[in-house]
Amino acid sequence: MANGSSAKWDTFQGKEERNAASGITVRSVLDEIMENLNPSDQRVVVPLGHGDPSAFPCFRTTDVAEDAIVHAVRSAKFNCYAPPVGIEPARRSIAEHLSCDLPYKLSPDDVYLTAGANHAIEVLITALARPGANILAPRPGYPLYEARAAFSNLEVRHFDLISEKGWEVDLDSVEALANDKTIAMVIINPGNPCGNILTFNHMKKIAETARKLGILVIADEVYDHLAFGSNPFVPMGVFGSITPVLTLGSISKRWIVPGWRLGWIVTADPSGILQKSWIVESLKSYLKITADPTTFVQGALPQIIKETTEDFFLKITNMLREAADMCYDGLKEIHCITCPHKPEGSMSTMVKLNLSFLEDISDDMDFCIKLAKEESVIVLPGFAVGLKNWLRITFAVEPSMLEDALGRIKTFYLRHAKKQ
Amino acid sequence: MENGTAAEKWQFRGNEVLKTASAITIRGVLNEVMDNIEESGPRPIIPLGHGDPSAFPCFRTVQIAEEAIVDAARSAQFNGYASPVGIPPARSAIADYLSKDLPYKLSPDEIYLTIGCTQAIEVILTVLDCPNANILLPRPGFPFYEARAAYSRLEVRHFDLLPEKGWEVDLNAVEALADENTVAMVIINPGNPCGNVFTYQHLEKVAETAKKLGILVIADEVYDHLTFGSNPFVPMGVFGNIVPVITVGSISKRWIVPGWRLGWLVTNDPNGILRKHGIVDCIKGFLNISSDPATFIQGALPQILGKTGDDFFSKIVNILREAADICYDRIKEIPCITCPSKPEGSMFVMVKLNLSLLEDIKDDIDFCAKLAKEESVVVLPGVAVGLKNWLRITFAIEPSSLEEALVRIKAFSLRHAKKQ
Repeated sequence: MANGSSAKWDTFQGKEERNAASGITVRSVLDEIMENLNPSDQRVVVPLGHGDPSAFPCFRTTDVAEDAIVHAVRSAKFNCYAPPVGIEPARRSIAEHLSCDLPYKLSPDDVYLTAGANHAIEVLITALARPGANILAPRPGYPLYEARAAFSNLEVRHFDLISEKGWEVDLDSVEALANDKTIAMVIINPGNPCGNILTFNHMKKIAETARKLGILVIADEVYDHLAFGSNPFVPMGVFGSITPVLTLGSISKRWIVPGWRLGWIVTADPSGILQKSWIVESLKSYLKITADPTTFVQGALPQIIKETTEDFFLKITNMLREAADMCYDGLKEIHCITCPHKPEGSMSTMVKLNLSFLEDISDDMDFCIKLAKEESVIVLPGFAVGLKNWLRITFAVEPSMLEDALGRIKTFYLRHAKKQ
Repeated sequence: MENGTAAEKWQFRGNEVLKTASAITIRGVLNEVMDNIEESGPRPIIPLGHGDPSAFPCFRTVQIAEEAIVDAARSAQFNGYASPVGIPPARSAIADYLSKDLPYKLSPDEIYLTIGCTQAIEVILTVLDCPNANILLPRPGFPFYEARAAYSRLEVRHFDLLPEKGWEVDLNAVEALADENTVAMVIINPGNPCGNVFTYQHLEKVAETAKKLGILVIADEVYDHLTFGSNPFVPMGVFGNIVPVITVGSISKRWIVPGWRLGWLVTNDPNGILRKHGIVDCIKGFLNISSDPATFIQGALPQILGKTGDDFFSKIVNILREAADICYDRIKEIPCITCPSKPEGSMFVMVKLNLSLLEDIKDDIDFCAKLAKEESVVVLPGVAVGLKNWLRITFAIEPSSLEEALVRIKAFSLRHAKKQ
């Protein structure tokens, strides 16, 4: 940052740590991989790298949601600024909606609207960050937590999810990692990237462990209700009396509208501990100086929640189940890939790469780059979510495309298989 | 921090800095003023405190804008995640729109979509944030800059706007305040809170001063084109060849849709200085970990920017002109209030309070609190924007309501006038 007389502009050197923090996001890793696509390959690119099936007609959102937006815009009642916490009817409808699955009633005041769940993560991390503090996050996980924590100078310590146990939380490692500066632990359920669903009993143990450690639980439930295996979805808020829970959610995944940018933070804390410890105050303070979700999308929310039919939800989960089954079965034939746990929720699954079965593939990123180049299939290298030499494969795409992609991945494997 | 059971210790706590940072927002001050309003008051409350005329039918946005949103939503083409910098058609549309008033063509790559102008401000302040750096802000100004800066490491230094010179920037003060750690200065044009519009010559001097000091100019043009006096709106980007300019703006004010949350940050920098110094990479890096404006509103932008007729713009400007005239004329009849400079742009005017002419009103906050209580009229105490014992009056409301409000303010001032 030299400052010669005319080289004054040097004052604004880009900040190294800012760039580093943003280096690993799912989007940026996928962008890098996609640079390797072969423009002369006529085949359609199959995107199994990101969690956004909205482009596929079979995954189109319900008419109800579109109608609600149109209605809200045309009313001209929602062109104004909203209060920082969100408009009352939207808060109320989310409170009622989420209370259906809880043993207590949420108040509208427990609900804080954000511009998507990513923004909710930003708000939470910012509100919780304190010098010297740390949070515990899962590995593999969702890298925005790490990026935002780095940005707020909040240390992140990683506990493992145990692949042999359906990706359950390694509670022993949680206890070993926590110290007196630990303030929270993050769980993502239904699981991203693993596609698992945590059981009631396991979640209770998580709550009890958190309570013992004196920390709160951040429950990332952005894939809520997208469960299609034998375990039902249980919201972490069910255990809010054991330990305070901050639940994150949005309409992005369940309604297949990630572009609408409407999410929430909910304080699932019947004992009022978050209030007493000034966490609620911090949340409200930061909400005053951060971006808001579009007012008319908030305005549409009550109609969206009330009028979306079970049929639509069933249709989506059925498609996801079929796709997950197809993916799991298809991967069995690809010997360089092992799937330790059949996906039962969310939109993706974590699979292990057996590099010893492959010739001239050096690691997960190399696999993904070459796969993009040779077969126009995009998958996410596991290092992006904390597990090097694994892969995250999104199955939430149009079924025929998924089938096509699995065929191409098999071809790729055979082409690179080590000769015996 | 107990909650009744034995030996409980919670390790999380709220973030002190946030409390301070968020305390000085306009909404916060207005809420305090409005707490004084009698719940059961018979007369409607007239809001001259905030900058949001969207509730008034005469200010309703143009139908084309509403229809553009409806079309984008119904197309189902914009339900997915957008690129962090914004979708290409939106970037192109804004580049074309802004280039009309510039001596060079903006590339779509120089346009970054944000959640309102608010997030654009957040982005640039974050990018410039580093230890020991300072920025120069106008006084009076828009306190969101101070709030965001308080939440960063940036030191804030204030230069005055000169009421006797049409609220021009005191360039001598700017030079005196700047040192080798100054990174930028902010100008707001058309002016909030002053309602002034800078001349071409003055903006050129601002650019030359900034260049001499080696700092960039952040040009807050959220009220762009809302001018109705003798000075036309000149974008600061016109001087991008002299000094790098970051323009922040949105559709919120010109289209009267602040709730839609669609803004932009633009690099007006034909000489590529910002790119060379890593600023552009920093902007992209930060956007990569931040939330985005709703994709379908981005999708609607080409239609909104391209198809809105001049008759809508003229209609709005005419109402603002009429309202500004009413405001200025009536204020002349209120002895305890002086307007140093007739408003010619934006939605506000700054007026000085002559407390010596009033009995039992101790300051601007007291004036506003009592005015709210006795007359159900809300104006903003100047302390909220940096000038104690001044008032910011919003004239952007339905003209007949404005007349009524000014009648009430006059009655209030007569009631509290010092007896001779």
